[in-house]
Parts: sequence; C-alpha cells; structure tokens
Amino acid sequence: MITRRRLLGATGALVVAAPLVRSQLGYADELTPSVHVRIDGRGRIIATVPKPDTGQGVRTMAAILIAEELAVEVADVTLEQAPGDTARFGPQTIQNSTSSRQLAQPLRTAAATARCLLVTAAANRWGVPPGECAARAGRVEHPGHRALPYRALVADAAKLDPATVAVTLIPPEKWRLIGRTRAGRSDARDIVTGRAKYGAESAPPGALIAVVARPKWIGAQVDTVDDAAALAVPGVVAVVRLVAPAGGQGGVAVVARSTAAALQGRAALTVTWTGGTPAADSRTWIADLEAALPPVTGKPDIQRIFRLPLLAHAAMEPMNATAHVTDTGVTVWAPTQDPGGLRTILSRQLALPESQITVHPTLAGGGFGRRIEPDPVFEALTCSRAVGAPVSVRWTRDDDTRHDSYRPMSVHRLGATLDASGLPVSRFHQVATWPLTVVPIFNNPMLVKASGDHFPYSVPGDVSVTLRLAPLRTGFWRAVYAGQFGYAEECFLSEIARRGGHDQVTARRTLLPADSRLRRVLDTASDHHGYADGAACHLDYGSAIAVLVTADPVARKVIRVTAAVDVGVPVHPSGVIAQVEGGVLDAVSTVLGAQITVREGAVVQSSFRDYAWARIGDCPEITVIVVPSDAPIGGLGELAYPPAAAAIASALAAGGDPVSGMPYGIGVG
Amino acid sequence: MSRYRLRVNGKRRTVDVPADTPLLWALREELGLTGPRYGCGVGACGACVSLIGGEAGRPCVVTVSESDKTDITTIEGLQDHPVQQAWLELDVAQCGYCQPGQIMTTVALLARHHDPTDAQIDEALRDNVCRCGTYPRIRAAVHRAAALARGRK
Ligand code: FES
Ligand code: FES
Repeated sequence: MITRRRLLGATGALVVAAPLVRSQLGYADELTPSVHVRIDGRGRIIATVPKPDTGQGVRTMAAILIAEELAVEVADVTLEQAPGDTARFGPQTIQNSTSSRQLAQPLRTAAATARCLLVTAAANRWGVPPGECAARAGRVEHPGHRALPYRALVADAAKLDPATVAVTLIPPEKWRLIGRTRAGRSDARDIVTGRAKYGAESAPPGALIAVVARPKWIGAQVDTVDDAAALAVPGVVAVVRLVAPAGGQGGVAVVARSTAAALQGRAALTVTWTGGTPAADSRTWIADLEAALPPVTGKPDIQRIFRLPLLAHAAMEPMNATAHVTDTGVTVWAPTQDPGGLRTILSRQLALPESQITVHPTLAGGGFGRRIEPDPVFEALTCSRAVGAPVSVRWTRDDDTRHDSYRPMSVHRLGATLDASGLPVSRFHQVATWPLTVVPIFNNPMLVKASGDHFPYSVPGDVSVTLRLAPLRTGFWRAVYAGQFGYAEECFLSEIARRGGHDQVTARRTLLPADSRLRRVLDTASDHHGYADGAACHLDYGSAIAVLVTADPVARKVIRVTAAVDVGVPVHPSGVIAQVEGGVLDAVSTVLGAQITVREGAVVQSSFRDYAWARIGDCPEITVIVVPSDAPIGGLGELAYPPAAAAIASALAAGGDPVSGMPYGIGVG
Repeated sequence: MSRYRLRVNGKRRTVDVPADTPLLWALREELGLTGPRYGCGVGACGACVSLIGGEAGRPCVVTVSESDKTDITTIEGLQDHPVQQAWLELDVAQCGYCQPGQIMTTVALLARHHDPTDAQIDEALRDNVCRCGTYPRIRAAVHRAAALARGRK
C-alpha cells in the first residue's frame, strides 16, 4: 500500500503562471499576417517558432527567414515559442530532419505578407504605386518621401485585406541573410550567461520535484513497496506508484520539496520487483540476430558480417517533464521534440478536449530522437494528479542511461560479386534487427528498409530485412536505421576497394553517376582533403554529403575529417556546419567505443564515465565545406552521422583487420 | 537542517539545508542560480562546473558543509567575460546545456595559463562532455578567449 502524505497547505501557496492566451485576430495596433509572425504597435517583430529547439537551431533559422523577408537584421526579430497546437502551427515534430524543409515556406510567406502589407500601407499614404516603394532596415522608402518606420505603418497595414495585396518573396539573388548571414545562434547570449531555460528551469515556481525508482531489470514491475523510511525523510511529500504505460515506464515516484530530498527519499525506498527478463544479456541478443539471417544463395566473391550495438541517446539534459493537473485542465512544461503530438496524445489518454491541455515546449538540452516520446510527461501527470500540485519529474543521469529507448542492435551480412578490376557488380545486404518499440508501425520490415536503405552507388542490390522481437525499448536515434545500413554498406565497400587496390575516392567516383550531387560533394571533399583512407557518401533528406577521413590506426585516433555537404539552401551557415560537426563527433564516439551493454537483465552503463562518449581530446580537425547548389532546402540534422561513422571506421581499419562491427575492433554486446 | 554561509558571486548568502546536501542543489534550488546545470550528479560530465575557491569545481559532488565560507562563482557571476565573448564570436553552442560548465572550466584554465596549448586545453576540459559535439569550436574559442584576455583584438 502506498500512503500519500497530505500536502500541508502547500498547494494554496503555489503560484502558477497562467498560459499566455493571445487573440489570433490581432489587435487594431498589431499586424498579424499569420500565426508565425506579428508586428506590434511599437514596430517590434515577433516570430512564433512552431517547432522546439533541441540544439538543431530551428529558432535561429526562423529568425533569419523572417528577418530576410521583413528587411531587418536577425537580432531585430524577437522569438516566442509556440505552444503545442498542430491545428494552428502545423506539424511541430522534430524528426527526420524536417525542420527547415517544413518551415521555410510558411515562415517566409508570413513575413513577406507583412512586408507587402506595410509597403502597400506606405504607398497608399503617399499616393504612389507600391512598386515604387521598398522596405529596407525596418522602414519603407520612396524616392520622393521621407522613409516611414514600420511602427508608423502597422495600424494602416492591419486594416488592409491581405487578399488584395500581391505577396512576393525576396528572390535568392537578393538574399542578404539566408545562406549568407554570419550571425550566431539566436539564443547564444542566454546560453553563455546561464540564463537559458531548459526543462528544469521552466517549471512554475513552487513545483514539487519527483525522482523515480525505476525497474531494476528490463520489463520488471513493482511487486511490493515499503515507503516508511522514504516518507520520513524531511521534505518528502508523497510516494506515488507509476504503472506503465499510463505512468510512463513504471516505477515508484518520490515527490518532495527539493531534488536533494527526493533523491534521499528514493534511496530510502524498499521496492521488490517481479516479471520482466532478469537474465537478459546483450551478447545473447546479438547472437540471436545473427542466427536470424537468412541463408546465402549463390556464390559471392566476398562477404562479411557486421554487428552493431545498442546506443543510448544520452542527451546532455537528462529527461524531465513538469505537469500540473487541475479541475479545468492540464498544463505541461517539457523539453519535448513534439509539442503538438504530445497534446494530441494527452487529449486521447486523458479524454480531455485539446483546448484543456496546454503544452509549453522548453529549450531542450539535446534530443537526438529521444524526446519524441512522452514517458516523462506521463510520470509527471500521474504525480501531479496524486498530490494536487505541479510536479517536475527529474531523471538522474543513471535513469537516463539505463531507461532509454535504445538504437536497436543489428547484424548485417553483405556480399558482392566483383568484376575483373575488383569493383562490385552486384551485391546483397541482409539485415536482422528489431523494430522501434516506441512506434508500433515500425514493426514492418518494409518500413525499416525504407528508413535504412539509401545505397547511392550504381550497383544493383538485393536488400532484405528480418525483424525479431525487440527485447527492450527501442526508439529513434539520430539517422535511425540509416546509421546502421549505411555504416555496414560503406565499410564493406571500403574493404572491397582496399582489397582490389583501389583508392577509396576513385572507387566511389567510378560507381556514382557522373553529374550527381554526390559526385560533386565527393570531388569537393577530395580536392580539399587529398588522399584519404576513409571515405563515405550519403544521400538522404534531400541533401548530399561526402566525408573523408585520415586516422592513426595504431593510436586509434581520428586525425582529420573533411565533409562536403550540399543542403540546397544553407539557411544558417554556421548552424549547418555545426550540425555536420555534431554528426562527426557522434561518429567518433560510437566508432571508438560508446556502446550500451546488458548483463543480468540491466543496462551496465550509468553515466558518461562508462558510456564512453568522445571528449575534446578525441576531436579531430574537422573541415566542413558547404557546396552551393540550386536544390531546394534539404534536411541536415541526421545526414552526417552514417557516412562519418563509416569513413572513420574504414580509416582506422587501414592496414589492419577489416571493419566487422561498431565500435571498431571492440566486442559488440 | 543547519545554516551555512556561502559567498556566491561576491555576495554573502545563507542556506538552510542538511549538511550533506550537494552544493549544486543549494545553488539551483535555494539560491535560484540555475546556470550550473545538472548533467550527471556524479562529477562525470562537467555541466555543473563553477569556481569553488578559485578552482574549477563540481558542485554536484561537493556538499554544502564543505563549501561553508568558500568563495563560489557560478556562470551568473561572470560579467562580459572574454570567455563568454569568444563563445559568442565563434558561435560555439548547439543545445547549450553543457556550455556554462565548459565556460567556467575555461575561465579557471585561463587563470593558470594565459596562452594554453591544445594539450593543456584537452587536459583541462577532458571531463566536460558535450553531447552535441561542439568540441572543435570550444577549442578555437579557448584560444580566442586567451587572445582577448591578453588584450589582442
Ligand atoms: S552534474 Fe556535476 S559533473 Fe555532471
Ligand atoms: S552544446 Fe549541447 S551538450 Fe554541448
């Protein structure tokens, strides 16, 4: 039996900020051409960013697009974060590297509409054709009149019917900012002063803190709880039982007035567990996947098996969420990758209309796919309902590492027949892996294949996917299955090229169509890098990248990495380069040694001490070349990881054993 | 519960917490200084790094009683510091969560070495994890901050 301590009047003292409600129709003194942008009576330009920022830079991108079309500087745009509301803001999910692709057009159109309305208002006032006027530096200009600042035109512009005004976007040849700005990240000053607000800093004043005793082994459920000692810890308010899935992953939450008390309370709990798989071992899992590969038909000239490990997301900000359940509805503050989807899920689960659910996305200290899932929010809701106050559930690093939704293990068998020169003329790729348990539709080999199979070279292939039951939670991890498929394919191609005495770049050039985007980025990277032992290409999300690597195999050190990337329009150049650098560091980390293992039913790793993420000393010299192109805006967040990992492993393998898994040269599982 | 006198960012502050409370929670929850971030609680990530007695310390593994009467500087205590300027100039941050710890570690490094080598940088920042992979920019920004601090523009 769980006893809940009364809140001793604490609830009465709680002050909860009311959610900001703003009229969508706009005020007389405010120009609101769309939900994405408005200009107030003082001429302030306020952008409402539909998607949350997990570090991928969507807020900066929004500021650039809007500043461009409104003829102001990036710093002139004030950013607000949209609450979860897909009906108003469209898709709000951060996934599949879609942020730029989905938002560029609506944001630019919104700002361009505002500009054209302001220009028309000025033209009307002057009695001149709008075509003779221009917007520049926050003002509308005309050769025969004194320029008018936007603030003097807002009221008139707001009275115009947007349908009567022709809206034109600024053409690429006139861009001042898109692809050109040297501005840094919009939130940079808040970050370097410590003022940036992530999940924990966004909880309302007076929120209680909860930490959760989590399943001791995979799939375990709470059997008995003795919470007497926990409830005796000063500051502990309640102990709440969480039952999966409505209570997240299940467990026992200790709710307290401070994090220190909650942690102490959790340590004082005695919980026994039942069910689940207390004997699970990741070495057995990888063997099981290998056994699931279909037999090889025909006689390939070369074949190899690759084994890939479990990976944790390990975002720097551990998972957390804050919720307040009241009689009139639910408010959530969370570093989520999907505020709109979260609101819909909550509405369904709680049988409440969406209008009674407010989701405030906060800045997120990294996401990498993990924050699409709502489990911490469910925990916070359960706790808040139990104690009648806002509750902020905080995961420790240990919780975060051991109760993730991991990248699935996978085993790949690749084979090829070779021509006289030793280059492949046909190939096969058999994959045995698990679905993503957090998205049931992924229990489908065709979808897994579609996510993973992006082999870009002109070698006909036969790719097959076998799915086995996932023995633990699995989820989206940067690049999803492409990270596994691409790694195995490029490492295999490197081995083939090496055996045939081919240069890695030349072999790939031979296999790529002559005027392709990949050929261009490969040549660009090669011109810069010179000879490289590791090379790989990737075409996905509407973007193309080639990565070349020089490493010191004896010291197991990555020395130099060159990436040439064609993302169509690189809206924020510094941000584009940062995403590629980030993908390269993920690759360094996972190829050199970071992996999750399971023994006796539980994840072994518990922090960055044993989940061996790269440190600054592991960081190679990285050059990122942004190759201009006419392609539309492409996705980027996940593009660099698969080829960087393959090129790094192949460079480490130069002169030694061929790559047969990840991490390179270390047992998997 | 006992009272502890802390000297934080040049001000005297008192906190009323159990002696073994990690300094990090006292700073964040008692004093409202949330710049030092929680990343691991076991001294393994560097997200919480602040100056404790002038050195780069980890408030998640130092207790309040150990910090009694010690000078503590959190990132909130910096004022347009050259390290912050360099971080802005080189657009270092991605998600930014690790950056207060990276910056405070660098502040301590530059107090010891006015012109650190790459090896000294790698050593000083060895246990400051950046999950987003901003290391190349951090390294460049440390050099830039050193130059700014020495008065080169
Ligand atoms: S939170 Fe202090 S080192 Fe990680
Ligand atoms: S910037 Fe995200 S962890 Fe360093």
